[in-house]
Amino acid sequence: MSSSNPDSNAHSCIQSLSSILSSVPSSVSSSSNPSFSLLHDPTITSEISSLLRLPDSGSGDNNLCRWLYDTFHSTDPELKLVVLRFVPIIAGVYLTRISLRKSLAGFEAIVLALYAHETTARDGQPVTVNVPDLSQPSIYHEAKGSVKNKATELNLAVISPTLEPHGTMRSSRRARIVGVALELYYSKISQMPVSSKMEFCEFCDIWAAGQKSEESKGKKERRIPLPWELLQPSLRILGHCLLGSQKSKELLEAASMATKSLYNRCLHDVDAKGILATSSLLRLEQMALDPKLNVDHTEIDGNVLSL
Amino acid sequence: MLCACSGEQFKFEDALQSPESLATRDFLASGLSSWTGDWESKLDDVQVDEAESTLKEALSLNFEEARALLGRLEYQRGNFDAALQVFQGIDIKVSLLLEAILLKAKSLEELEHFRDAAKECNIILEVVEAAFPSGMHEGIAEDCKLQEVFHKVLVLLPNLWKKAGFLSEAITAYRRVLVKPWNLDPLRIANVQKDLAATLLYGGVETSLPAHLQVWGSATPNGNMEEAILLLLILVQKVAYGEIKWDADIMDHLTFAFTVTGQFELLAGFVEQALPGIYERANRWYLLALCYAAADRNEVALNLLKKVSGQSEANHKPHIPALLFGSKLSSQDPKHALYGITFARNAIDLADQANDHFKGQAHKFLGVCYGNAARVSISDSERAHFQKESLTSLNSAALNMKEDPELVFNLSLENAVQRNLDVAFDNAMMYSNMVNNDSGRAGSLDQLELLRLRAVLQIAQEQPKQAIETYRILLSLIQAQRGPQSDLENVAERKIEMAAWQDLATIYTKVDSWRDAEICVNKAKSVDLYSPKSWHTSGLLFEAQSLYKEALVSFSIALSIEPDYVPSIVSTAIVLVQIGNESSLQIARSFLMNAVRLEPTNHDTWRNLGLIAKMEGSLEQAVEYFQAAYELEMSAPVEAFK
Repeated sequence: MSSSNPDSNAHSCIQSLSSILSSVPSSVSSSSNPSFSLLHDPTITSEISSLLRLPDSGSGDNNLCRWLYDTFHSTDPELKLVVLRFVPIIAGVYLTRISLRKSLAGFEAIVLALYAHETTARDGQPVTVNVPDLSQPSIYHEAKGSVKNKATELNLAVISPTLEPHGTMRSSRRARIVGVALELYYSKISQMPVSSKMEFCEFCDIWAAGQKSEESKGKKERRIPLPWELLQPSLRILGHCLLGSQKSKELLEAASMATKSLYNRCLHDVDAKGILATSSLLRLEQMALDPKLNVDHTEIDGNVLSL
Repeated sequence: MLCACSGEQFKFEDALQSPESLATRDFLASGLSSWTGDWESKLDDVQVDEAESTLKEALSLNFEEARALLGRLEYQRGNFDAALQVFQGIDIKVSLLLEAILLKAKSLEELEHFRDAAKECNIILEVVEAAFPSGMHEGIAEDCKLQEVFHKVLVLLPNLWKKAGFLSEAITAYRRVLVKPWNLDPLRIANVQKDLAATLLYGGVETSLPAHLQVWGSATPNGNMEEAILLLLILVQKVAYGEIKWDADIMDHLTFAFTVTGQFELLAGFVEQALPGIYERANRWYLLALCYAAADRNEVALNLLKKVSGQSEANHKPHIPALLFGSKLSSQDPKHALYGITFARNAIDLADQANDHFKGQAHKFLGVCYGNAARVSISDSERAHFQKESLTSLNSAALNMKEDPELVFNLSLENAVQRNLDVAFDNAMMYSNMVNNDSGRAGSLDQLELLRLRAVLQIAQEQPKQAIETYRILLSLIQAQRGPQSDLENVAERKIEMAAWQDLATIYTKVDSWRDAEICVNKAKSVDLYSPKSWHTSGLLFEAQSLYKEALVSFSIALSIEPDYVPSIVSTAIVLVQIGNESSLQIARSFLMNAVRLEPTNHDTWRNLGLIAKMEGSLEQAVEYFQAAYELEMSAPVEAFK
């Protein structure tokens, strides 16, 4: 996309999309804010979602993957958002198909592009947080006792370690690369439509519990490994869906189910970090739903069915 | 009503279409006052009343409005005494007014016009903030009602913004409540702090602090997560000092934040800080165990888990997740094998209907622990028993968990150890297929372990060429993997690399490729110079070349690193026997006796004792020793697993 005019970018995007989809509603193609319409138009997004779920959607010569890849490389940040909107489906379908020996070069190209974007944006720095020292006063409190005069040592916690550039997908790095794509999605989550978040919750469910896929011809459920690099950004997104956005009741229900599935999965795998995070989210949800409920907040129950 | 100028009757009703228009009223009022003539500086009440009722009638003002207007007029004309007199007669109901605006906002809220409601609240806040630019201190606000209304508005506004979906504005509104003192009671402040922390943690909208608040240097929170953690730490401190009651939400938010940021030991500290009674005892230990395990402090975690299933909890319901967790952690270190067996058995036996689906995992960990126990056991019968139990448990687990890669790997390993080589191979192949396809951590490290397993099996089946080839693949994979890894991964990988070089050296030694063996030993030493096995392997190499002096030196170095390293003790004895004179035989025997004490099941030790006995002529004793050696060798695990 060489033109610097964002509108013409969006328009040419929509034009190339119209050769892939069955139709593009005129409300989008003649909209005054085409990228915004693309992001939110339910007809287009549901058709793209369906196309992405088709059995051979992720292959290297797939038109839709190509379109998503190109659109992400547009200079218009709004168009990047359009691609981000589909990260849950892309990541979800991609990860569930790994074991099926299909060509997934199309999906991998998109995910790698997202990873590369973050690698450049972070410029070799990890994403860190400073855990504050309460002996120094802050905007919200006065220090109790004498204030230490020495300079506070920084207690740096790493949310996301430094990124190494990766040009190709390797199985040992797959979780990290997809995880970073999810981190990018989370950074823009306030601008993502509810339907995108619902798709994410749906895939969390599948990742956690495995799916009985018809494609594998009656094989038993295949669970996807859930290493921390994948689980941590997923939990942040779920936390937002569950507790951060008050608007949609449907989303709340989907997020609740997804969190429960992940909790059960973490209990089964005996994954300490996962258990800590998911059980907290579940208790917070219970309290939010009914603060008068006399839940024993400290009970980390093995009886998951009762949750 | 007389007109100001002409004195004629004048009807005001027509002119006064909008009595709220103050400008109109002002104009008319100034007209009226000039008509009423010059007033004296001091008025008496009757005069005031008259003027007032005139105004009231003329402009449809109520009592307060009329007086306020009158007072203003007097003030503007410089009649301060008069103004004061008028004003003192009014009971200024500012707070009623503000309350009216608040109620208007609340009505809008009920009708779900959240944004409009928020705007109404903003009006109030701006008015009061302008009057009190540095906050309200105790005693300043004389009108309690005003303060009460103001407090309600302060707390209502951020909620309205949230309901309207404007999280950035909500965060700003929360901050507004907290950064200046407003005489709010501590509980309310704490609630606002908690709500702000939650909005920052889950809202997904980065809202940076405004410039005028970024004055705290390095203590200024940088980003939503930092700010949320700061607030939560402040709240936890308040709980610790007894300023507010324990609130489970605070702890849950903190757990989430610290889990995402990897601060598990810090989190454990806060769990420990909670007063007794907040947590059920077993749950507290379980929670702490989770934190410490997440922080890679497995020993601490295990100790806590032992307490959960210990005597003190005997009267309570069994804590199945803790038992399962205990068995998992125990399975990762052979020295905890026996505890692991107890944990797992309890998990299986005590689990009720609801926890049935844990049983597969429990059986898996049980199997691994039995396998570990077998390897460190000194009793022959015990070892056989453990091995049998191990395979039983692993196979039982496989009934519900066929697709679990870890289980398949362990099945392969345990079968290999017990010399069921075909089954071992089948499982190894299955594992290899799983691992090659799956994403995630089942990538490098497990692949390497699989390759080593395969090589060892090939050695056991006396296929040195294939084994060498497999090691070659393994080592080149390690070379190719020079990427960033966690420390744990690095350490584990180095161990495998070193083991690979050592095994290769052993193979080359056996097939008399001295040069190659030497290269491999040196490579092993370059990974870790202080590995006794590397020096031992060197010693074996020298021994094979009949370089006995050099061999003894190498074995001595191995023993100086680890004095109880049995293979080197035995090898030293063997070399001494080779040297063959009287005194060296005695020394050799004492070495071997030491080895027997340390590792009674080592068949090499017994065999060499037999050799010495034979050389000394004690044939009966030699026979006994050889018998023992033979029996032990028959039941020994595959050599490379020692």
